[in-house]
Amino acid sequence: MDDKNASQHPNYVQVFLTFARNSLVRDMMFRTNFIIEAISSLSWALMNVGFYWIVFEHTPSIGADTGWGKYEFFIFMATTWIINSIVQAFFMPNSEEFSEMIRTGGLDFVLLKPIDTQFLVSLRKVHWSSLSNFLLGMGLLVLSINELQDRPTAPWKLTPSIVGLYAVYCACGVAILYSLMTCLASTSVWLGRNQTLYDFWFYITNFSRYPMEIYRRGWGIVLWVVFTFIVPVLLVVNVPARILAQPLADNTSWRWPLAMFTIFAAIISVLISRWVFQRSLLAYRSASS
Amino acid sequence: MVIPSSTNVGNPSPVGDFPARDQRAISNCQSVAVGDLLPPTERRTDQQRPAAYNPASMAIIEIENLTKTYRVYQKREGLKAAIAGLFHREHREVYAVRGINLQVEQGEFVAFLGPNGAGKTTTLKLLSGVIYPTSGSARVMGFVPWERDNEYRRRFALVMGQKNQLWWDLPAQESFRLHQQIYRIPPTEFTRRLDELSDLLQVRPLLGRPVRELSLGERMKMELIAALLHSPEVLFLDEPTIGLDVVAQHNIQQFLKFYQQERRITILLTSHYMKDVAALCKRVVVITDGRIHFDGSLDQIIDSFSGNRIVRLQLAEGQTADGLSMLAEVESVELPRVTLRCARSDVTRVLARILERYQIVDISIEDPPLEEIIAKLFQDAPAGRNDVAEVEVGR
Amino acid sequence: MIAWTVRTLPQRASTWWTIYRIALEERMAYRGDFALGTLMRFLPIVTQIFLWWAIFDAAAAATGKSHLAGYSFHDMVAYYLLSMLGRAFSSMPGLASTVARQIREGEIKKYLVQPIDMIGFMLLARMAHKSAYYAIACGPFALVFYLCGDYFPAWPTVEVGLAFLLSLVFAFLLGFFLDLCIGLIGFWFLEVSSLLFIYMLLNFFLSGHMFPLDLLPVGWRGAVDYLPFRYLAYFPAAIYLGKVPSSQLWQELGVEALWLVGMIFIARYLYARGVRRYSGYGG
Repeated sequence: MDDKNASQHPNYVQVFLTFARNSLVRDMMFRTNFIIEAISSLSWALMNVGFYWIVFEHTPSIGADTGWGKYEFFIFMATTWIINSIVQAFFMPNSEEFSEMIRTGGLDFVLLKPIDTQFLVSLRKVHWSSLSNFLLGMGLLVLSINELQDRPTAPWKLTPSIVGLYAVYCACGVAILYSLMTCLASTSVWLGRNQTLYDFWFYITNFSRYPMEIYRRGWGIVLWVVFTFIVPVLLVVNVPARILAQPLADNTSWRWPLAMFTIFAAIISVLISRWVFQRSLLAYRSASS
Repeated sequence: MVIPSSTNVGNPSPVGDFPARDQRAISNCQSVAVGDLLPPTERRTDQQRPAAYNPASMAIIEIENLTKTYRVYQKREGLKAAIAGLFHREHREVYAVRGINLQVEQGEFVAFLGPNGAGKTTTLKLLSGVIYPTSGSARVMGFVPWERDNEYRRRFALVMGQKNQLWWDLPAQESFRLHQQIYRIPPTEFTRRLDELSDLLQVRPLLGRPVRELSLGERMKMELIAALLHSPEVLFLDEPTIGLDVVAQHNIQQFLKFYQQERRITILLTSHYMKDVAALCKRVVVITDGRIHFDGSLDQIIDSFSGNRIVRLQLAEGQTADGLSMLAEVESVELPRVTLRCARSDVTRVLARILERYQIVDISIEDPPLEEIIAKLFQDAPAGRNDVAEVEVGR
Repeated sequence: MIAWTVRTLPQRASTWWTIYRIALEERMAYRGDFALGTLMRFLPIVTQIFLWWAIFDAAAAATGKSHLAGYSFHDMVAYYLLSMLGRAFSSMPGLASTVARQIREGEIKKYLVQPIDMIGFMLLARMAHKSAYYAIACGPFALVFYLCGDYFPAWPTVEVGLAFLLSLVFAFLLGFFLDLCIGLIGFWFLEVSSLLFIYMLLNFFLSGHMFPLDLLPVGWRGAVDYLPFRYLAYFPAAIYLGKVPSSQLWQELGVEALWLVGMIFIARYLYARGVRRYSGYGG
C-alpha cells in the first residue's frame, strides 16, 4: 500500500484478500442460500459417513491386511473432504467461470488487467460455503484421532513432523487437483461446450476417494498405474491420509518413494497446467456480444 | 475508393467547416452539467505525450498490415461425422481483419465505422492484446499489445458496451476497490479520481448500490469509471452507447467529449450511432470486410460520398408543389413544407429557378442524413462480407 | 361426455404424438454428448467393484463368510449395475426444478391458456426424453453388462423377467410423479431448490442407489420398506437377483402400483389446488 513503491506487480496477497472479502460480502447478501449450500454439502458428507458406518458393520477393514479399519478410513475420508473443500471453495467456481468466460468472451476483461492472468482467473471468487466441509473434515479428523489413540495393534503416534507433513501433502493434493481442473477448463477454448468435461472431472476424481490398495489387484493395476503416474489423482488423498492414519505399522517399502514422487507430481502438474493455460489463451477467440 | 490516411493525420479540418449537426451537438452540450465544464479552447500540446515511446518518430498507435484470420471447422451432421471429426477436421480460413494500416496521433479521437462483422471490434481486441494477430504488427505507446506487458495494461483501458466487468451482485465501489488493488492506484489518488469521475457522471449516490439494480445507462457509467480510474492514456470504446436511451447516450457522449478534451487522451471508438461519431470524432475510419475503406474527416465523407444536398422549402400560403419535380427530386410534400434533393453542383441553379417561380417563406440547405451516407459507403464494400460476419456471430 | 372423448380421441392422439416427436427430436440433437456421458457414468461402478472386492476380502479374512447380508461379491456388482438400470428409468433430471421454475416465472400460464394438460404434456416430454436416452444409452449399457456378464446370476425365469420389466416401467412412472409433486410444491414456496436437494439426497440413500438396502440394520430396514423410494432402484435389482421371494413378487408389485396411483392422485390434487391458488393471485 506504499504510494512510493508502485512496482511493476500488484500485491497478490492484497488482491486475493479483496477477492475473498468481496465474495464474502456477496455470500452474506444471499445468506439463506449460503446456509442452504452449507447444509447441503454437510448432509451429503454425513450420508457418506452413514454408508461407511454400515459397511464397517459388516467388515473390520477395507481390504484384507491393509489396515484401513473404521477410524483409519475415517481419517482418509476426512482428508478427502478437507482437500476437496479447499478445491471447491477456491478453485472450482473460478474454473467453471473460466470456461464460461471463454464461451461468452468475458475473458477479455481479465486479459486487460495488469496482473497474472492465471492468478486472476483461478482465484477471482471464493465459494465460502464449501468450507463447511473443511470444518466437518477437521471434526471427523479429531474424532478419529481420538479413537486411534489406543489402537491395540501397532500403536498410533502423532508428532509435530507428522502434522507438518500432513499439511504439506494436503497442499500437494490440492495442487494436483487444481492443475487437473485448470487443464480441463482450458480445453473449452478448443472444445466449446464442456458439460461432459465436468462429468469427466467428477468421475476421474472419484478414483481418488478410496485407498489405493483396493486397485492393486487384477486389472486394477492398470488403473493404479494410470491414476498414480499419468493423471496422479490417486496421490491426492492417499499420501496425506496415509501419513496421518498410519494404516500399517510396518512402513511399506514404497511409502517414502511414493511421498517423494508426490512432491514431484504436484510440481509437474502445476507446470503443465500453466503451460496448457497459456496455450489456451493463444487460441482464445473472444466471442463478440 | 480508399483515401490514404496520411493526408488527414494531424490536420483536423477547420472548425468553420463543421456540418450542421455537429454545431447542434455542441450547442446542446451547454445545457448539460458536463458540458459546462468544457474548457474554452483546445489545449493540444505535444509536451503532454507519455514518455514511454519516442513521440518524435512514432505515432501513439501504429498498425502495420495487421491481419487476423480464424479457422472455422466445418461441422457435419450426425454421429458418424462427429466421430470422424475427432480425428480429421475440415476447416476453412475466415478473415476478420485483412491487412490494416493505421496511425493514430496522441490526443486523437477516432471513430471506427463499419457494418457488423467488418472487423472493427476485432481490431480493438487486437490492440487490447486480448487476441493474437495472424500476421502484421501493432504498437501502442511503443508496446506490442498481445505481449500483455503489465506496464502496457496499466496504461490503457477497453470498455465494451455489450459486456460488463463489474461484479454483478456487489456495489460498484467494491469492484472499483478491486481495481485499485490490481492497478496499484495509490489510495489518495484513487479517492480523488473516484470523486471526480462519479461527480462528472453524476453517479455518486449509486456507488453503494448493487450493480444488478442499476439501469443500463448507470451501469455503463460505472463501467466507464472502472475503465478510467487508473488514468489510461489510451482508451478503446466498443459500442459504449449500445442499447441506451437518448438521454443516457447524450450524457455519455458529453462526458467522453469533455474528458478527452481535458485529458488529451487518445480514444478509439466503434459505434453504430452516428450521433456518437458526429459529436465526438473529427476523424473517421471506415472499415468494411476487414479493410480500411476510408480514413478522413466526417466532412470528407460527406463530400466524397454524397453528391446530393437536401433543400427544404416552406412555401407561401396558396402555393402548391406542382412543377417542383421538374426541377429536382421531390422527397416529401407536406404543405406548406416540401423537401427536395438535388446534385450538389445543381444547387444554385435549382434555387434560382425556385425563387423565380414560387413564393417562398423559408429555405434551408442541408447535407443528407449521415446514416444514409454511411449506409451507401458500406454498400460499396466488396463481396465476401458474409463470411466474416459469421465469425463474429458464431461462438 | 364419453362420446365427445371418443370423437376427439384421434385428434388428441395426434397432438400427443406431435408433442412426443418434437421433444424426441430436441433430445436427439445432443446424442454424441449423450453416449459419451452415459459410458462415463459407469466409471464410478469400477471403483465400486474394487471397493466391494476389498470389503468382501476383508470380511472373509476376518469371519470366513463369503456373503454379506445375503450378497456374494458377484451379487453385489450385479446389484450396482442393475440399480443403475433402475435409476436410468426412475431418475428425472431437472423435472422438479423445471416445474418449480415455470411456476415461479409464470410460464405455467401457457398450460392454462392452451388446451393442453400440463401433467400429460410433461409426462410425454419426459417419455420422449427417456426414449432418446435409451436409444443412445442402450449401447453403453449393453457393452458394460456384457463385459460384466460373469457377475450376473443365471437368466431369471420368465415370470421374474416380466416382473422385472414391469418394475422398471413402474419405477419410471413413480419417479416421474414423485419428482413432479416436489416441483408442484413451488406453488406454495417460491424457493424449492433446498427442498429438492434434500429430496435428492434421501432418494439417493433410500432408493438403494448407494448400497443394497439389505445392508441396513434391521430397524432401519423396516422403516425404509414403508417408503416409496425403494422402488426406484432397489426393487428392480432385487427382483432380478431373486431377493424377492416369488410368493411375494406380485403382491409387492401390487403395493408399488398402489403407491403409483396414490402419487398420481396427489400430483393431480396439488396441481388443481396450485392452479386455483395461482389464478387467485392473478399470476
